[in-house]
Amino acid sequence: MIVTFPHMGDMSIALKELFTGLGRQVVLPPPISKRTLELGIKYSPETACLPFKINLGNFIEALEQGANTIITCGGVGPCRLGYYAEIQQGILKNLGFNFDMIVVEPDIVDIIKQLHRVAFKRNFWEVYLAFRLALAKIYAMDSIQRKVNMIRPREVSVGKSDFIWRQTVDVIDAAENLSTLRAAWHKGESELDEVKLKSGTRLLRIGVVGEIYVMLESSINQNLDWRLGNMGVEVYKTMYLSDYINGHLFRKREYLKKFKYLADLAQPYLGHYVGGHGIKSIAHAVNMGQEKYDGIIHVFPFTCMPEIVAKNILPKVSNDVDIPVLSLAFDEQSGEAGIVTRLEAFIDLLRYRRVKHHLA
Amino acid sequence: MTIRIGLPRGLLYYQYGSIWEKFLQELGAEVVVTGDTSKATLNCGSGLDEVCLPAKVYFGHINDLYKQVDYLFTPRVISVAAGQYTCPKIIGMPDMLRSNIDNLPPLIDVNLNLRQNSRSLYQAIITVGHMLGKNAISSLYAWYHAWQYRRMDQAIRYSKPNGQRIGLIGHPYIIYDRQISMNIIDKLNHFGIDVITPEMISNRQAAIAAKTLGKKIFWSNGDHMAGAALALIQSEQPVDGLIFITSFTCGPDALIGELVSQRAQALNIPCMLLTVDEHTAEAGFVTRLEAFTDMLIRRKQS
Repeated sequence: MIVTFPHMGDMSIALKELFTGLGRQVVLPPPISKRTLELGIKYSPETACLPFKINLGNFIEALEQGANTIITCGGVGPCRLGYYAEIQQGILKNLGFNFDMIVVEPDIVDIIKQLHRVAFKRNFWEVYLAFRLALAKIYAMDSIQRKVNMIRPREVSVGKSDFIWRQTVDVIDAAENLSTLRAAWHKGESELDEVKLKSGTRLLRIGVVGEIYVMLESSINQNLDWRLGNMGVEVYKTMYLSDYINGHLFRKREYLKKFKYLADLAQPYLGHYVGGHGIKSIAHAVNMGQEKYDGIIHVFPFTCMPEIVAKNILPKVSNDVDIPVLSLAFDEQSGEAGIVTRLEAFIDLLRYRRVKHHLA
Repeated sequence: MTIRIGLPRGLLYYQYGSIWEKFLQELGAEVVVTGDTSKATLNCGSGLDEVCLPAKVYFGHINDLYKQVDYLFTPRVISVAAGQYTCPKIIGMPDMLRSNIDNLPPLIDVNLNLRQNSRSLYQAIITVGHMLGKNAISSLYAWYHAWQYRRMDQAIRYSKPNGQRIGLIGHPYIIYDRQISMNIIDKLNHFGIDVITPEMISNRQAAIAAKTLGKKIFWSNGDHMAGAALALIQSEQPVDGLIFITSFTCGPDALIGELVSQRAQALNIPCMLLTVDEHTAEAGFVTRLEAFTDMLIRRKQS
C-alpha cells in the first residue's frame, strides 16, 4: 500500500507525517502546477467546482508516480465535496489506473474501520503518537502563518517574514518528534519577533471569508495573503486548517460556542445551513462589520453552491453593517493581472473611504 | 376578506405545487399562481447572480407576483427524504429573495426538514395554518385533503413497438418548464420519438437501480434522476439513448451527469449532455437534438 492524498495548502506536511507514522509509504502528489490543472480540467465534468478538478489532477500525477492507494474524504452534503470520491473513482478507473480508494466518511465508526485498514501493524499508542505529531505540525504552521500575515505589511525589509516562514516550514516538515517540532516552532516565532517593523500609520484591515480550499491553497487564490500583505494590508483569514479540525472533527466546546454565536449573527440574513461555509461567510461578514474592519474579500470556487447563496446575500449585509465586500470567484481561467487589478481597485476604495471618514 | 397568497411557478412547484395550492385553498386562502415562464421572467430573474437558470426563473416569478399578494408561499424545503437534502440554492432561496427585493410581502418560509425524522412536516403544516388563523386540527385535515391531489406515477406508454425511445433525464423544473427546456419533449415527439422522463419511473424502481451506486446520492432529485437513468439503461429493454438536460452551474447535476454518462458508456448506450442557460439559442438546440436522433436511427438500422 503506497498512500497518496489530495493537496490543500500545507496540509500535505501533516498528512505525510500521519501516514508515515502509521507505517505506510507515502507518495506526495507533485505541487499543484499548470499540468495538474490541465489534467484535472481535461478529465473532469465541465462545471464541477475547482477543488474537484485539482484533486483529480493531484490523483493522476500521484498515481503516475507509483501510488496505489488514494485516501480522501467523504461527506453528507449538500455540498458537492461529499460525492467527489465516487465520481473521481469512476473517472480514474476509465483512464485505466489500478488503485484502491479509501474514503473517510465523517462518522466515528467509519473512521476507526478505515484506520484499521491503513494502520500497518501499529498498536493504539503508536497510532495516537502519529496523530499527535501530525496535529502539532498543523497547529505550529497555522500559528506561524497568522504571525506572518501580521508582520508582512509592516516589515522594513520586504520579504523577510516570508523567508523565515519558508525556512520554518521546512524544519517543521522534517521534524521527527514533538521536541524538535517545538524547538522549530519557537525558533520561527522568535525570529519573527525580531523582524524590524515600520512604525506609525494604522494599516487597512481586511477580512477574508469564503470557501476553505480556495482560502488555503495559495496556488489557486493567486497568493492572496501575500499580495495583500505587500500592498500594505493586514489580512485576517477566517479559516485555517486547525480551526476546521477543532470545530468539525473534535467539536471542541469553545469552537462550538463560537459557531453558535456566528449562526445567531447570520440568522437575520441566512436562516439555515446551506452546506460548506455559506453561513459562516455571512456570519463573519456581520461580525467583521461590527468590529470595524475596513473591508471584506469573499473568495470561492466558481459554481460553488453554498458560496453562491452567500454571495447573493452579502450585498445586503454590506449595506446593513456598512462594510465594502469584494466577491472573487476563482476558476481555471483566473488570471493574475485580473485579480491584481481588482484588488488594487478595492484597496483604493477602502483608502478613500478611510480618508472620507477621517474628514467627516 | 380572503388572504391572497402568491405561489411562484418555479423550482419545486413542478413536484409539489398542486398539493401546496390545494392545501392553501383548503385553509381558505385565495391562491395566485404565476403563469408560464416567459422571456420577461428570465430578464427579471437575472437579479440573482451566478445561480442556475431555474433559480433565476423562480426569482423572476416572484418579481411578477409580489406586488399583488399579501403573502408569498416560499417554504424552505431543506430535505424531503431521510438522509438527503434538496440543494443549497433551494434551501437558501427565501433568504436570497429577502436580500434582493425590497418591500417584499411576508414570506411563508416554514422549514421543512425530513432529513432526520418526518415530524417536521406536521410542524410545518400547523405553522402555516397558524399564520392563516387556523387551528392544528383543521390544518392537518386540509393537508390530508390536499394530499389526495398528488400526482400519481404515470405508466410508461409504448406507442410504437419499434419506435425509438429516449430517456430524458433532468430536474422536473427544467423538463416541464417549456421556456427553460425549449419544449424539448414536444420536439422529440415531433421527431417520432417516445420520451421517458424520471417522473415516469416509480420511486421504488429508481431506488432499486440506484443501489448499484457505490455511495447513496444525498440530493433527493439527483438520487431519483440517477436511479431512473440507471433503471432505463439496465432494464431488459433498455432505451435507445439518454439525454441528460441540465442548467449551467447546476451543482449536483455536474456530478450526476458525469455519473450517468459513465454508466451509459459502459453499457454502450449513447448519452448526450444538454446544458441550457438564458442565452441558449433555439436553433443550436434543435440542431443538436436532430443530430442525436439521426445518429440513434442509423445506429438501429445498422
